[in-house]
Amino acid sequence: MKIMWKALFTVTLLSVSAASSAENSNLTIENCHLGEIRSQVKCGKLVVPENYQQHDGAKISINFAVLPAIDNSEYKTPLMFLAGGPGQAAVELATGLNRIFSEVRKTRDIILVDQRGTGESSALSCDLEDEESVYAVIASEINEQDVKNCIAQFKGDISQFNSENAIRDFDEVRKALGHKKVNIYGGSYGTRAGLVYMRMFPESLDTAVLDSVGPIEVPIGMFGQSGARSFRLLLENCQKSESCHQAFPNLAQEFQAVKARLAKEPVTIDIQHPRLGTPSKFVLDEVKFTGNLRFQLYGVEGRSMVPLVIHQAYLGNYQPLIGLIARTEGEQIVYTGLLFNIVCNEDIPRVSEQMRQADADNNFDGKTSHLAWDVICPLFPSYRPSQEFYQSVTANVPTLILSGDLDPVTPPSNGDYSAKTLPNSHHIVVKNASHTVAMSTCASDIINEFLTSRDPKALDESCLDDVPEESFMTSVNGIQ
Amino acid sequence: MNQFKALLLKEYKEAFRDKRALMVALMMAFMAPIMIVVMSKIIIEKAVDQPPVYIKFTGSEYAPKLIEHFKKENLLSFADVPEKDKAIWDERNIVINIPDSYAKDMADGKPIKVFLQADFNDKAVGPPVRRINGAVRDFSLSIGYKRLLLRGVDVRLLNPVKLVEQDTAKPDATFILISMLMGVYMMMAAFMSGLSVAIDSSAGERERNVLEMLLCQPVSTLKIVLAKLCSASTISFIGVLLVIVLTTISVGFVDLTKVGATFSLDIVKASTLLMLLLPICFFASACQLFLAFQTKSFKEAQSTVNMIIAIPAFVPFALMMMDDRPQWLDWTPIAGQSLIIEDIFKGVEVNWLAMLATSGVTIAVTVALVLAVANKLKSEKVVMALS
Repeated sequence: MKIMWKALFTVTLLSVSAASSAENSNLTIENCHLGEIRSQVKCGKLVVPENYQQHDGAKISINFAVLPAIDNSEYKTPLMFLAGGPGQAAVELATGLNRIFSEVRKTRDIILVDQRGTGESSALSCDLEDEESVYAVIASEINEQDVKNCIAQFKGDISQFNSENAIRDFDEVRKALGHKKVNIYGGSYGTRAGLVYMRMFPESLDTAVLDSVGPIEVPIGMFGQSGARSFRLLLENCQKSESCHQAFPNLAQEFQAVKARLAKEPVTIDIQHPRLGTPSKFVLDEVKFTGNLRFQLYGVEGRSMVPLVIHQAYLGNYQPLIGLIARTEGEQIVYTGLLFNIVCNEDIPRVSEQMRQADADNNFDGKTSHLAWDVICPLFPSYRPSQEFYQSVTANVPTLILSGDLDPVTPPSNGDYSAKTLPNSHHIVVKNASHTVAMSTCASDIINEFLTSRDPKALDESCLDDVPEESFMTSVNGIQ
Repeated sequence: MNQFKALLLKEYKEAFRDKRALMVALMMAFMAPIMIVVMSKIIIEKAVDQPPVYIKFTGSEYAPKLIEHFKKENLLSFADVPEKDKAIWDERNIVINIPDSYAKDMADGKPIKVFLQADFNDKAVGPPVRRINGAVRDFSLSIGYKRLLLRGVDVRLLNPVKLVEQDTAKPDATFILISMLMGVYMMMAAFMSGLSVAIDSSAGERERNVLEMLLCQPVSTLKIVLAKLCSASTISFIGVLLVIVLTTISVGFVDLTKVGATFSLDIVKASTLLMLLLPICFFASACQLFLAFQTKSFKEAQSTVNMIIAIPAFVPFALMMMDDRPQWLDWTPIAGQSLIIEDIFKGVEVNWLAMLATSGVTIAVTVALVLAVANKLKSEKVVMALS
């Protein structure tokens, strides 16, 4: 069942694609090993109220980690990471973040907090044994009862697992660790969390970095137009590349042809399970096809294979697509319970029928990206944030905004939204990058510079010019 | 007590009178920080820097993606070599031959051989060759992974077992090289700084006939020896103090974070080190006095005593080589201290019991040596260098 959710969720992901304490009896902290990081780091737990209005009520334990600065001879404000999703667990991303923010970590602590509902902070996930093959499952087979059963397993009052309470937790962790201020880096949904942080506790923040922005004004979940834009750019770039154009001269038409074929009748073929090597079934319909392609658009690595995958599918060979699905099969990417809990309550209710139709009016995947919300949101227990929650954020915190031009979910126009209302901000659009720019380009170095200078408008951005243009695989053997 | 004071004053006067000798003796302390900084700078540069490598390509037009990948790794074409480096890279003459069947073989999925020609005996060619090797391996792997993936295979199958290293050193563990050098240098400083004073106040005084005069006075030989010991160990302690202070300052000029390391000596660590090394200073001077009095002339004393300064350099090294060292080594002078110094730098909790034990043993040996020397001075054999 969990896998079924995933089948849905590859269609709708908004996430990061990368991978000394004060006196407080609620806080425990100890040395530990995390992920694949060689050196010891610090792991901690902080007990906070489940409902901040009822301090004597139920408590939940928030899990966090500190990657201590390598040179801590002088105190520099640490960097707190806000994970994407919603539903990614920050601590689980430690290995990748340790590498990406290695420049920052030389002089600053990096603080990773599992947002409530993820990781080891009362995760909203289900223990289900009947995991079906991601290859055989298609979205239209989602069983409502299974989803209901899963929701019934969640513990606690899940209406408290909202964005604002998550920020209260983050700020509690900051306080408990004895930091007067922190810098924040938010990627994807993490930018939404970051914006809420900037509004609720501006005095706690030294600087903010918002990478691939999900502004409060733009509801999360309507990805039709942005996906189509990202795909259109891919087609254009393929045309511009001589070898790609030569290999796939009719790519756009081939894509539509495959889509139409699958819409008419799903394909079922016998395959060897890509990991187990045992005979399995592979079922593919239109939704699954475009959903998986959309997932590849998040990063340049995946994008480089998309033209080939489309062309091969057009020729009737689905093996390349199966390989792409296998890349993430069986891996926990987000805690889907929290994903739906937040998006279904904070974003989807604000989507008007008109917006929905405008978004569905595209020739990439139509309204496929709405499907998950349509099926699952009505089943979720509801809460509603106050109207103030949706106001634009105007905090005067130095803010660096990053966007990747190729991004399928948070296009540069999203960054413009936030840049407009944040007085001390600067928006950098990286032409040849996709979702979460810092994870794949030298933007992580620019962030490091920004944390020190705290001036978003005077940064050396020249290294971004060297981000190479998209290039594509033109055969299964990978020639130029 | 007055007598001892007068004796000590005399020893200090003599020790500090010869400024040049003193400077030479304390050279050790000044050399250490410089050596440490220079060595770590070189090592860090080697570890972090990816200097450009210039390669003479043939057939580069057949493999544009490979060449692009090389460029990312700062492995450049010989055509780009700056004028001033031209001669060097021409001399190194690293050649890569790409076959003209490259594109076709790639499309057919056939293995492609790219040839690297260089003088593998030339030491300067070693690092570039290693980098070229790495770059080709990465390039090859990334294509290989994609080839499997596009055939519908889960590429994670290629890594059935992954080794994840978990270092149990404390998060604030220091740069190992500096810690090692510091440990050795501090011991050396303890032994070397007081050396000239010890020799001069023993064998030297004897040759200048000052010793005879001293012994004629109505003071106990023990007081005479103690005064000499105090004077020599003071200098040796100054040496140790200088090493610690100057190194801490000079290490600040090295950007250790480049290699993901840090080095800091806080006041607690520094005082623990000083406490640990104080008995060693006395021990070293006592050894030197003892040996110097055994010899017949100043010159002989110099050569004999010089031999023992190898001990503090040798012992830590020997300890490093030993995989299973016997327990008693933990308590012997020098060996015991160097093990504890290692712990201090590693950030491991210092074993205070072991520290007390080694210090006790060291002091006991020192006392024995002092008593032996005092006893010896009662015999005129020593005074007249007749033994």
